[in-house]
Amino acid sequence: MTIASNVKQCLSTMKGIEAQLSSFALNSLDKDAQAIFHEAMLTIGEVKKDLQYRVLELERHEPQYMGS
Amino acid sequence: MPDWIFIISRSLTLLGLLFIITKVLGKKQISELSFFEYVAGITIGSIAGEVVTGLESNMGHGVLALLVFGFVTFLVNYIAIKSKKFSDFAEGKSTVVIKDGKILEENLKKERYTIDELSALLRQKDIFKFADVEFAVLEPRGTLSALLKKENQPLTPKDLQMKMPNEKEPQTVIMDGNIIDESLRCAGKGRGWLYTELEKLGVTLDNVFLGQVDSYGEITVDLYNDKIQVPTPAQRPLLLATLKKVQADLEIFSLETECEKSKAMYKKNSIKLQETIDKLSPYLNG
Repeated sequence: MTIASNVKQCLSTMKGIEAQLSSFALNSLDKDAQAIFHEAMLTIGEVKKDLQYRVLELERHEPQYMGS
Repeated sequence: MPDWIFIISRSLTLLGLLFIITKVLGKKQISELSFFEYVAGITIGSIAGEVVTGLESNMGHGVLALLVFGFVTFLVNYIAIKSKKFSDFAEGKSTVVIKDGKILEENLKKERYTIDELSALLRQKDIFKFADVEFAVLEPRGTLSALLKKENQPLTPKDLQMKMPNEKEPQTVIMDGNIIDESLRCAGKGRGWLYTELEKLGVTLDNVFLGQVDSYGEITVDLYNDKIQVPTPAQRPLLLATLKKVQADLEIFSLETECEKSKAMYKKNSIKLQETIDKLSPYLNG
């Protein structure tokens, strides 16, 4: 496993978490819970963006791992 | 007319009448919380019994007596709501029997309770040591309410300064294999959602005996077929575990990378994630 693939795996897990949080935010009945889930989803979104950028960077540095 | 027809017809009429009277008087009458309702409850019952079996007496008189009792109770309840003084008189006042951890002997005597009876009442509340009680009141109906000293009170999350999420009441959406649309609407869901969730669990609607939705929109079902193992909802603990894993991954990346800029980025994001985990964990546990 290369660093690039590890980071990519982490990124996709992150996407999964974001989706799950979004579904919780929609399905919860309690207003507080909805707000917390939504907020967490936004934070995860920011982290995800940073990771995405890092993945692009890694691919540029090590083109042999492109798409792996 | 033979006696038995007489009794049957009377029983049925009185049953209906009693039902209506209790319905009008409300839940208070059934619980017999106050002194007055207790007396009225006993009397109404015995009048009804007398009328049903006492064949020679006139049924109209019995019904009249019942109505009078019902009406007076209704009136007393009505006035009691309006006037505090009257309600103290008619429904009785509660008596303080333990205050500041000390038994008030005079009040106990006034209510004609012995120490044995008081300790019996305390024991029913799982209190075996009167020293544990800060404050106790004898309610008009004869039950005891006790406030324990703070150190003896059961531990709550608040004592531990834990923030606990508020949970809404669970809604029962499936009963006996039938969808209860009203509760489904209360949970803010539709039939389509329910079918999807059932499919996810891999069960059919007619096999479900009871299905409840909690305040996070997770569904738990009980099946007719008890041999089948239904997965319990574990999405939230699972999500928490995944979050922790990702956070750990980011920390590892920050240690592994040699690029200073990326190191800082990983570090910043792992801290951000840790904060999110801390905030979410009360909602995701259990």
